[in-house]
Amino acid sequence: MPHGIGAKLRMFASLVAALVCVPGLAAAQTSSMFSNLANPAIGMNALFAAQAAHNLEQPYGLQFDEAEISLISVVDPYWTFSSNIVFLSDGSVDPEEIWVRSLNIPGVQLKLGKIRGTFGKHGLLHTHAFPFVQAPIVMANTIGNEGFKDAGLEAAWLTPLPWFSELTGGIYQGIGTDEDHPLDFGSTRHDNVPYLGHFKNQFDLNDATTLELGQSILTGHGADGRQHAAIGANLTIRNVPPSNSNRRGWILQSEYIQKGSSSGGNYAREQDGGYASFQYRLSQVWWTGVRGEQARKSVTDFLVDQAGDPIPGKVNRVSANIAWMPSEFSFLRLEYSHSQADAGNGLKPNDDRLMLQMSYTIGYHPAHAY
Amino acid sequence: MKSLIRCMLLLMVGVLAAAPAHADLKVATSLSDLASVAQFVGGKHVSAQSLSKGYQDPHFVPAKPSLMKAIQHADVFVSVGLELDAGWLPLVLPGSRNPKIQPGAKGFVDASEGVNVLEKPAGTVSRAEGDIHPYGNPHYYADPKNLEVVANHLAQVFSKLDPANAADYAEHAKEFGEKMEASLAKWERQMAPYKGASVVTYHKNFVYFADRFGLKLFGTVEPKPGIPPTPRHLAELAAAMKQAGVKVVLYQPYYSADASRQLASKAGGVAVCIATEAGGLPGTDDVFSKFDTLVSSVAGALPGKSGGAQ
Repeated sequence: MPHGIGAKLRMFASLVAALVCVPGLAAAQTSSMFSNLANPAIGMNALFAAQAAHNLEQPYGLQFDEAEISLISVVDPYWTFSSNIVFLSDGSVDPEEIWVRSLNIPGVQLKLGKIRGTFGKHGLLHTHAFPFVQAPIVMANTIGNEGFKDAGLEAAWLTPLPWFSELTGGIYQGIGTDEDHPLDFGSTRHDNVPYLGHFKNQFDLNDATTLELGQSILTGHGADGRQHAAIGANLTIRNVPPSNSNRRGWILQSEYIQKGSSSGGNYAREQDGGYASFQYRLSQVWWTGVRGEQARKSVTDFLVDQAGDPIPGKVNRVSANIAWMPSEFSFLRLEYSHSQADAGNGLKPNDDRLMLQMSYTIGYHPAHAY
Repeated sequence: MKSLIRCMLLLMVGVLAAAPAHADLKVATSLSDLASVAQFVGGKHVSAQSLSKGYQDPHFVPAKPSLMKAIQHADVFVSVGLELDAGWLPLVLPGSRNPKIQPGAKGFVDASEGVNVLEKPAGTVSRAEGDIHPYGNPHYYADPKNLEVVANHLAQVFSKLDPANAADYAEHAKEFGEKMEASLAKWERQMAPYKGASVVTYHKNFVYFADRFGLKLFGTVEPKPGIPPTPRHLAELAAAMKQAGVKVVLYQPYYSADASRQLASKAGGVAVCIATEAGGLPGTDDVFSKFDTLVSSVAGALPGKSGGAQ
């Protein structure tokens, strides 16, 4: 064999050997340096809606509401990490919830971070878990359309009482008012540490039916020097027949929330209101519901002056909906609402609107609270 | 006065005698079968309770706060594993505020460990196939042999947590295995004439039973796991059943009897309600009576049906 050909064959053999070995090396590096075994559970939900509302100056048609990405994982033996990051239709991103939880103290759950304060019942729900397309009007006028969200620390103690009895206490960062925070906690006083108390009791009336009672208070100092507060009470009776848990059931729920402020011992009630709703499960894939509500001294999107600025008034609204849930991971909901408002100055507009909402979820999605 | 004191003493003795014996380990489970096995293995040293009833769909147990309260002081929690209880356990376990039974703690048990899991998806998992379980079919408790694996596993866990009674746990697990083997021999004799027979089930939760006793699964009332049956699917399945001579539809008490009966009626067969979880039907209080009833129900439905005895 001539020397030149032998050298070429050796080079060719080396090249083949290298090509065979490279994927193995790459795989070894991937598995040792860039393991994805401890990656968090990832899920995403997207909400779309179409709305026909004659009072609003906006075109009818389909719109993107929001998308929420959730990441959940265990940090170490002491903490579990949970986050919900929301992408809104205007292009902004809201780190809605980013918190860690510890269960290392027996009887106590500790949450730390940007949390959804444990106030009331509706305020604990993510948007895609709302039982109706629109949140009750009282929410946006008292603690926030999607509840009270702020950085803080919460401890929830399961008391030794023989039934489920939970006492929650929390402290939060003092922040001023904005679209998401109707409560003014914007005082710069060093001792301005808004705090929350929540007491929840749940009783099993029988195998199928439960009764839940909740009371909440949230208070802090405002930029105006007054002490601002919200108080609330909620009652829920829920029926889930054990042998039909995926096909039948109903939920009767009501809640009252009041917002106010005080100075020098004089308390002034500001916005308040409540709702009562009834949801009925017709089958595995069909739900229907009705809700009646009232909000006083409250603003809403169709109660505006001639310049288009919102003005407060009393608003009554009834809503009815029907939802089709072909699986646990998507639903289509049709909802109608009729509202009557009274601004007290002769302005008494009515509002009717028809909404269609679609929700889609992929990946891991934690179960919703009972 | 003396008689009053005597009465009070007697009353106190009575109350003390009536009080339940102290158990060394409080065990809670997500499935009634697991509580039944845990009680057998634990004997007097254990008090076991299941968070779900046998007539409840184990996929969809409402995560009631009372369940959290029920396990607040549990020493051991036994999960079915393979994500059968993933829809509610992630709420109930943290809600208990009990650090002893959280995943990763000594008191948390995944009962599926060591079980030969069937129907593990190959390749990509997609929900286009319905609500499938990515780690394999989680209804392994429908095979008596798998409960022997669970019993041995629980004996090991109980022994670690309560070493003083380790010998009893090992002995009970051995007794459980022996009793299950003897019962299995009886059930296999009952089912032997129907080897190769085809049945339709509501959900894909009969795979392990069919595998153990040599039955064929012809189809399911659900078109895909977790998806409710449509009239079109039922009509197509009924036509296929008629053509193949399959006349038995099996459904659990928590599934729609109407859809199962409608299908059976269209196919000219029978729909039979069965308990695959202990407590699902009267007389199925523990895993042995559950299998007694289950085998009798299935064997009783198959004779005389075309597609039945081969």
